[in-house]
Amino acid sequence: MIILFKIAIIFTFVLFIFPKQFQYYFGLILHLVIISISGIWAVKTLILSSKLTLPFIPFLGNNLSIEIDQLSAFFILVIDFTMLTGIIYAKGYLQPYFHKKNKIEMAWHFFNFLWLHISMLLVVSIRDVLPFLIIWEIMSLSSFFLVIFETEKEETIKIGIKYLIQMHIGVAFLMAAFIYAYVSSGETLNFDGLSVYFASHNPFGLFMLFFIGFGIKAGFIPLHSWLPHAHPAAPSHVSGVMSGVMIKMGIYGILRVLMYIHHDLFNIGLFILIMSLISGLIGVSLAIVQHDVKKLLAYHSIENIGIIGIGIGLGVIGLAKNIPVLAALGFGGGILHILNHSLFKSLLFYTAGSVYKQTHTRNIEQLGGLIKKMPKTALFFLLGAIAISGLPPFNGFISEFLIYSGIFKSLHSAGLFTDIVLMFSFAGLAIIGGLALFCFTKVFSVIFLGTTRSSKVEHATEVNSSMLIPDFIIGFMIIIIGFVPVIFVHPLSQIIGSFFIETTAIHQMISTFNNISLSSGVFIIIIGLLWALRSWQQKRQTIKEDKTWACAYTGANPAVHQYTATSYADNFRQLSSKIVNVKKDFKDFDETEIFPKKRKFETHSSDIFENYLITIPSDRILAFLEKIAVFQTGKIQHYLLYALLFLALIFLLTFLNLI
Amino acid sequence: MTYLFIILYTITLIYFALSERVKKFVWLLSIQGFILFGIAFFSLHKIKIFDFIFILAETILVKSLIVPWFLNKVRKHNHLKRVQETSVPVSYSLIIVVMILLFSFLFNNFLNSNYIHTKYFTVSFASILFGIYFIIIHKNIFSHVVGYLIIENGTFLLSLAVGSVMPMMVNLAILLDILMGVLVLGVFINRIGDAFESTKIDKLSKLKD
Amino acid sequence: MISLLLILISSLFFVGIIVKVKAKIAARKMPPVLQPVYDVIRLFKKGAVYSQTTSVIFKIAPLVYFSSVFLAVLFIPIGSNEGLLSFEGDFVFFAYLLGIGKFMTIISAMDTGSGFEGMGANREALYSMLAEPAFFIIAGSMALFTDNISFHDLFLHLKQDADLYYIIGIASTYVLVYIAMVENSRMPIDDPKTHLELTMVHEVMILDNSGFDLGLIHIATWLKFSIYGALISNFIISNSWNLYWQIAVFLGIQFAFSTIVGILESFRARNKIEKNPQWIIMLSAISIVVFLTVLIITQKIILN
Repeated sequence: MIILFKIAIIFTFVLFIFPKQFQYYFGLILHLVIISISGIWAVKTLILSSKLTLPFIPFLGNNLSIEIDQLSAFFILVIDFTMLTGIIYAKGYLQPYFHKKNKIEMAWHFFNFLWLHISMLLVVSIRDVLPFLIIWEIMSLSSFFLVIFETEKEETIKIGIKYLIQMHIGVAFLMAAFIYAYVSSGETLNFDGLSVYFASHNPFGLFMLFFIGFGIKAGFIPLHSWLPHAHPAAPSHVSGVMSGVMIKMGIYGILRVLMYIHHDLFNIGLFILIMSLISGLIGVSLAIVQHDVKKLLAYHSIENIGIIGIGIGLGVIGLAKNIPVLAALGFGGGILHILNHSLFKSLLFYTAGSVYKQTHTRNIEQLGGLIKKMPKTALFFLLGAIAISGLPPFNGFISEFLIYSGIFKSLHSAGLFTDIVLMFSFAGLAIIGGLALFCFTKVFSVIFLGTTRSSKVEHATEVNSSMLIPDFIIGFMIIIIGFVPVIFVHPLSQIIGSFFIETTAIHQMISTFNNISLSSGVFIIIIGLLWALRSWQQKRQTIKEDKTWACAYTGANPAVHQYTATSYADNFRQLSSKIVNVKKDFKDFDETEIFPKKRKFETHSSDIFENYLITIPSDRILAFLEKIAVFQTGKIQHYLLYALLFLALIFLLTFLNLI
Repeated sequence: MTYLFIILYTITLIYFALSERVKKFVWLLSIQGFILFGIAFFSLHKIKIFDFIFILAETILVKSLIVPWFLNKVRKHNHLKRVQETSVPVSYSLIIVVMILLFSFLFNNFLNSNYIHTKYFTVSFASILFGIYFIIIHKNIFSHVVGYLIIENGTFLLSLAVGSVMPMMVNLAILLDILMGVLVLGVFINRIGDAFESTKIDKLSKLKD
Repeated sequence: MISLLLILISSLFFVGIIVKVKAKIAARKMPPVLQPVYDVIRLFKKGAVYSQTTSVIFKIAPLVYFSSVFLAVLFIPIGSNEGLLSFEGDFVFFAYLLGIGKFMTIISAMDTGSGFEGMGANREALYSMLAEPAFFIIAGSMALFTDNISFHDLFLHLKQDADLYYIIGIASTYVLVYIAMVENSRMPIDDPKTHLELTMVHEVMILDNSGFDLGLIHIATWLKFSIYGALISNFIISNSWNLYWQIAVFLGIQFAFSTIVGILESFRARNKIEKNPQWIIMLSAISIVVFLTVLIITQKIILN
């Protein structure tokens, strides 16, 4: 079967031969082949609970092999599922671009999409360092080309280049970390070699380097600046895939490195927990004040990476302080949230992309009332919104519930400092959940409900069914995980077992999960009964339709006094003004202006981390360098003068015996 | 019973961070005096009966009745604004007061000393830190007097922490401090209030010119 | 089963007693105590008017809201009688269940496209978000104290003789009373007397609901009050008492709670709307003090 895989990889180059109409279908077939092969390997690993090693290609003298253990198998399944829905969605989304782009550009796009898939699968399966870094690089490059698909916009290329530079900074940190471990311990350049290093040195320093390298990919604050620019610029199927799985590759890296550390874990766990709490709280606060829907979803990805990090950090603390319940349920919640987030985030990006395709605007202040024109898309967006806020009966609640259970069960047996850390983490999780609810009620209401706010909505209709199929598939998974979480107990305990944690706590959750399923079922039944009761009662009464109550003001279109997104977010903005840094732009009324003239009001939020870490330092460095650029006069006589001066300097220094 | 009063004292510190009205500051100060009366009543066992009655009388009379009455007089005389603004929003102050409380409890656990009575030390340390923070964030001199009195309450608790027997000297010293501080500042404020328009400290710093 | 019946019965009288107390203090004529029930029965006999701006969300939201509150009632124990549903970690499920009720109410308010309802919606979202940590920290303190994590087990093992137990009981009751006021948008967050759209939170979100939906929403409000009253009564009822004595004390505490709410509403002024967030953060601060108290009781903070 490995031969089939290699053939599929080589066939990606064949894509360029096909004419435009058939490229998509050929790409789809190749994707399906890769998905089925890797899926079979992953399922085999999870069922047999053993590692799978397959020889791949000879590389620099050694035989490179693909090793799939339970953690890799889990990631392979998540990657496969998201790429499948992505490629199905892409058919409808790329329809309008077919005529604008030529054959090579479309082929290049599908080629990169295939290589993104292949490189992500290989990232989670290769253990040798140099091939790992090469594949990581291929992943960054292919996603770069996918992001800058709309090259006609100048902004897109600038954003793409910023993205590429930040990815390379991450790779530089990773390379430095690996080389340092290799030099200090003398072991082979392999992930397994890290265990020798960590056994004999304090793990915190090297872990920090790995965290920065992988964290830039994952999007922890303050390393996140590329995320809110790259996701809106990319086409929606690419954003869905990037947010759904590509940033999880950073989490994979952190988890893989954690597997080799067995002592001194408390500081590492506390560090991950603090960074994740900050990412979660600041990420969602920044999301609330955005009015570009995809930028908002990008900030939400940062928040959810924070939630995954909280689970992992708590798991590591549990390992450090020898509290098996916390370790098992913390890791369990974090890993299940990886799956859950890829599901609902890709669903949200696909539905937002459908809205963009129909209305040609990402600015939510110009939308409104779309539920009447695009009911199915609205329903799926609502499903994603309820799931991402972590509300029962859907899947987001299950992973947060696991983390909460881990915390509350271990409060009694933990020490004082651990108890205070646990209190901050569950209070933080509660606040993050509440803020996510705040944000998604705003987004859903402003885009789909109420009346239309501008003319852009006039021509919107429901998207065609090929763009709705991936929504259906993901929605189905969300409902299954939410209503029947017991089916995930066994695979989760397998994955966590590879971290050397006892998994009895997860098996104890089975009865709780059954009770949750029961309660969710009762919930739906009560709603159904009430609906039937109401229909019976309303048959015998008169039901009228009328305008909304506007306190008897009939002077204007109802959309005029409808709440806008900015006003909805305003009272939160007042609380968090230092963090979200929103600037208001308007001209005030003059005292002598009796009949007010037309006015414009704009608000912009800027990311303070981006400002202080990147924009201001780079502006200062550029200003400094411009002064030095005086030497570059462009005349060859000056350059020859510099050469002569240098020779004279060398002569003088040798004469004085200084060199 | 002492623990009950200590927890009530921490809750009054939280209310200090929440409130913005000057009348409420004075009211909270008198409640703090009453709580200190309760703490003194239930925990001082080993001292002479005369000292005991003196301390109880001092807390209930001076801290709960005389000082708040005097502060109210000053407030009315100067027509102070009802709400005093702080330079840090109240939400952040609340978070900081919780941090101060947690820090002082953790710090005490870290010290793990056998020489001091830790149940008083935690809340006295928190009270002193909070009093200093209170003075930093408020811009009005009246609020500074209130902050100073919070620090004095903290010092009273500190003296309970370091000795089970409270010598008369410490008690008289605290009494003197309070009276001096309140009298001097009160008289001062009345005089300044008559001569100038406002009691804000940035206007007061122009006095030296 | 007993707890469900008791909560349902006490909810019928709750709002009636509040109104009666307020009328008595204001020297007005008191309406009958079951007046809210008569109002809801009258609503159930009426038709409905739906706004043209609204969609299917507006029709389904009251049903989801009522179901979430009703399902939440099934979790509450009273004394030694456990609720119909009980499992480990059920208070997390309870809190998030009320959350999905709020989510649907908020989006149905925004669905009408009215500025008033939008105002109520965003205030409701912010205040309930700020009140969440207070509830969780109190539940966390009890979990720390008793090493159990379901409602039934938490209250079962809560009674131990320590004089600090009383301060936990009193402080938790104080915080829970105010959380109940935040959830139902009563004083001091919002004044239900004035019916001014500019100051309302929950009242204004239901301006456009009518008929059957409005009846369901009113019943859900009574149930929410009753739930918090039941939680408070659990701090006082001890399991060793006789069943009839437990029921009598429960009904007495519900009566006392509704009277206190009536008195609070008559005498206390409403907060300025912009000061509400910091007031709600104060509730979380007090619950952290409760957490510290539990740490002292369980001897993790060593005090001598």
